[in-house]
This record gives sequence, C-alpha cells and structure tokens, in this order.
Amino acid sequence: MDAVVVEDLRKSYGATRAVAGVSFTVRYGEIFSLLGPNGAGKTTVLEILEGYRQADQGKVVVAGFDPADKRTGRQLREQIGLVLQELAVEPHLTVRESVSRNAGYYPNPRDVGEVIGLVGLAGKEKSKVKSLSGGQKRRLDLALGIIGNPRVLFLDEPTTGFDPTARRGAWEVIRELSALGTTILLTTHYMDEAQELADRVAVISAGQIIEEGTPATLGGRDLARARISFTVPAGYSAADLPVGAAVGENGRLVIEADEPTELLHRLTGWALEHGTTLPGLTVDRPSLEDIYLSLTAAQGAAAAEEVPAPRRGMGRRG
Amino acid sequence: MSSQAAVLVAPRRRNTAALVWHQVRYEQLSFWRNPQSAFFLFAFPLVFFAILAGVFGNATLATIGGRPVTGLQYYTSTIVAVSVMGACYSQLAITLSQRRQDGILKRLRGTPLPAWVMFAGLLAHCIMVSLVDAVLIVVMGLLYGVPVPTHWAAIIVTLIVGAAAFCALGVAVASLISNAEAAPAVVQFVFFPLVFISGTYFQITSRFLNDLAGVFPVRPFNQALLNPFALDRGFAGHQLLVLAIWGIVGGFVAIRRFRWDPRPE
Repeated sequence: MDAVVVEDLRKSYGATRAVAGVSFTVRYGEIFSLLGPNGAGKTTVLEILEGYRQADQGKVVVAGFDPADKRTGRQLREQIGLVLQELAVEPHLTVRESVSRNAGYYPNPRDVGEVIGLVGLAGKEKSKVKSLSGGQKRRLDLALGIIGNPRVLFLDEPTTGFDPTARRGAWEVIRELSALGTTILLTTHYMDEAQELADRVAVISAGQIIEEGTPATLGGRDLARARISFTVPAGYSAADLPVGAAVGENGRLVIEADEPTELLHRLTGWALEHGTTLPGLTVDRPSLEDIYLSLTAAQGAAAAEEVPAPRRGMGRRG
Repeated sequence: MSSQAAVLVAPRRRNTAALVWHQVRYEQLSFWRNPQSAFFLFAFPLVFFAILAGVFGNATLATIGGRPVTGLQYYTSTIVAVSVMGACYSQLAITLSQRRQDGILKRLRGTPLPAWVMFAGLLAHCIMVSLVDAVLIVVMGLLYGVPVPTHWAAIIVTLIVGAAAFCALGVAVASLISNAEAAPAVVQFVFFPLVFISGTYFQITSRFLNDLAGVFPVRPFNQALLNPFALDRGFAGHQLLVLAIWGIVGGFVAIRRFRWDPRPE
C-alpha cells in the first residue's frame, strides 16, 4: 500500500481551477516533491491531503484514510504531521512547553528533548517562543510537525525565506527524518531543493502535473545531449578548430554532442598541439532548472489563455 | 509491513479526562505568561468597583421591587456581571479571532486534538477567571460592609449559566468577525451600548429602555445577580431562561459558522 494516493484530483475556487486533474502516489519511506511556481496549485493539493479543504472531485487516500471523512479525522491526524507555509506558534510558552503540549495530543509521540535536539534548538528549551528569531520559530514549527511521530509528513515550502546556511540545516533535518523512516511530501519552488532531497519529483503548473520522475531523469534530462562550451583562444578563429561550430553569445562556442568523450579528446589534443588552451571550458547537461523552466514556460503559455481570472482574496497559494 | 497501515492503528490514546486536563493546564500557562492580559482581566473590574463603591457607598441608590438598594449592593451585582461578560464574551471573542488570524487555530486543527477539547480548555479558563473576579468583588463588597448574601445556590447557578451563555456568544461573534484587527471594535460595538442601557453603571428608569434591554442578555444577567446580592431573593427564573436562550442561539451560530482557517475558501 502507498502512503499517499491521489487520483484525478480537482478543485476550483469560483471560476478559477486551482487543481485540474492531478494524480500521483507516494510510497512509504519516500521523499516526494511537488515542484512548481507560485500559484501552481501545490498548497491546494497539500491542504486537501491534510484535510483542510474538500476536493471537488477525485480520490485521495492518506495513510489509509480519506482526509475528507470527518469520522476518521482524528485517526488520520494521529498518523500525519504537517508544517504549513505560514508560521504559527504561540508566543507566550517556552520551546519545551510548546513541544510538550503538542506531544500530549498524540498517542505515540517522539521524545520531547530528542525532537528539540533534532531541529537544532537544543539549549533553547527554556526560551520564550516570542524571543526566538524567525528561523528558530520555523524550526520550532517543524518540531511541532514531527513530535507526533508521523508516518507521513507534509512540508509546505519548508525553506522559503531561509538563508543558505539555514536551508542546508533544514535539508539535513529532512534527510534525517527520512532516514528514520518518515514518508515526506514536500512542496517547493526551488529546483535545487527538489534535486537535493527528493526521491521523486512531480512538476506542477497551472493545476496539472506536467512531468514526473526522479531528479536525474526529469524531462528526459539524463537523455539530453551534453554541452561543451569554451571561448575561442586568442589568435584563433572558430574555423581553425578541428570541429565545426559557430560562435554563440559572449564569444563562447557551444557544441552539443550525444557522447562528448571523443569530441573533447580532439579539442584538447588540438589545443596542446598549438600550445594554447580552451579558456573557460565546461561540459554539462541541462540542469534541473533548465528543464523546469522549459516545462513550466510551455505550460504557462498554454494555461494563460485558459484561466485568465486572477484569484482574489486568497493570499499566497502555492 | 506497509499493508498494515490502517490496521496497526490501535493507538494508546490518553484517556479523555487526562487530555482535557492537559489542555486546560497549557491554556492556563499560556494565559498567566501574559501578565498584561491577566492584570486587565482582574484589576479592571476591581478598580471600577472601588470607584463606584467609593462614590455611592451605603447610600440608597435605587428602589427595586419596593426595597431600598444601596450603591454597594447594586454595584456588587453589576460589576460581577460585567467582569464575567468581559472574561467570557469579550476576551474569548478577541482571543479566538486573534488566534485564527495568526494561523494558530488552523495549525491546531492539524493535530489530533478534538475540537471540543480545545473549547473545553477555553471554557474552563473563562469560568476560572469569572469565578476569581466574582470572589474578589464579593470579598471587596464585604469589606465595604455589604450584607452577606444568603442565596448562594442562586449566585453560583446564575454565574455558571451566565458564563456559559456569554462564552457561546463570544465564540459566535468570533465566528462572524473576519479579521482580528477589527475584533476589539466589533466586540465593544455590540457590548458597550448594551451594558449602558442595561443599568450596569447607573440604574435605568425608562420603562421603554428596560423592556428593550430585557430582551438582550445583559440586563437579565444583572437582574439575576441583583436578586441574591441586593434583594435577598433566590433564582430569577425568567431572566435565567432569557440568558439560556441567548446561550443556545450563540452556540448554534458558533457551531454552524466557526472557522479555523484565516483564509476560508
């Protein structure tokens, strides 16, 4: 059985279709990422899974429960943990009190001290929540999300607004939770975050999943041609090179190849022969970001004609 | 092993009484950690009572049902009433809309804590504050020389019915307020005129105003407390009924309209 099953999920706010037929599954133990720009429908999907919103149509199963079924709501919420996009911690309690209070809501909570240590708030147990920095409050929020020892953890843009060090720290915690066996579904609009963390990624745009795969294979990335790029050395022109190529932008040469090894050998051999170099030489494949941008740009252009009305009064919805 | 997911759930939940106690305890902790709100809830009615008692003292302020009532007796009743209303109605409405706005209610909704246990925690808190306020004012009245009331059962029942009714109304108003900045204004807008026409701060002799105020919950609450505190009478059946009806209406609105999410669909 899978941790999360979503089949043909649909949800509209008035005339606006926020989720337009989304299907995916998350296996137990996996880190699954919904990747997409703001307003793509990520948060709406997540909030339906968490039981906050009712789907108009479609099948949803989370840890064996239907989140829309009020009768099993409590059982479901004993199985899941969540961290919302907006920070929500009570100001007057201390860190330890906040975590202890929520621990008391669950039948089988994690150890309070251990969780505080896991999110990196050790030593802050007796600090009032209102005296914490923004980043520390976010970590407390994460602690509240995992104190119940959830089988499935939902993280809505967990590192938005973090500085680079704090992001690395948060990734570390997420990996650690995953290693402890927690299934994690996270939304993000950062490509590198999906690449760093996720076992599988679904790219969502305008309420639909437009691509799904592992970070390495997404959008046929692994099959894409390699790009060799360098600047033509001084005193030579593109015509002197042993391979045919035209000079592109900023005077750099870009050569695409299915298999770059032989081509590279010829180029570097030529350079050594002539006692020169290939300045700024790089060999790469399209980054996840390139794939993501090309995918969402194509979809966005198509969707712009389809759903013209902006959603009002909804605030920021992923 | 993952196929057992739904079956494996035979959680050893803590028993309900322990869960309610847990919630009550943390609600109290959260309240006492915020000394500003604690001070206003307790000190404000006391200061008011001291001023009014000082001004009117043991002089006869009104004649109710042919009985002379001193200023001290009168204000013991109405200031107890107004502090219960402050603790239950105003505070609850403002606290709930603030917590909703801050996303704290939504976040709490994501935990397995049953909604009714959260409300039980708040209700227990409101009743605690009401009782402390009532005791402080009654003791202060006694120190000023107000005769000791004899109908204690009527006092306690009236306080409980009143506290419950005004809590329900507080939740109802919180359900109708959409943003927290507006909450104190809306709460006072509803509350203040009622308090004035209900004779809380001075006796109203206009029959029209008294009949009008009698339909709303504040004047009946005042009267139900005047009975044991000033008139040596017991239960005010009619007034308690009016209070209870308002409580039920408030409860109905609260259940139908209560929202957890700061941005509903």
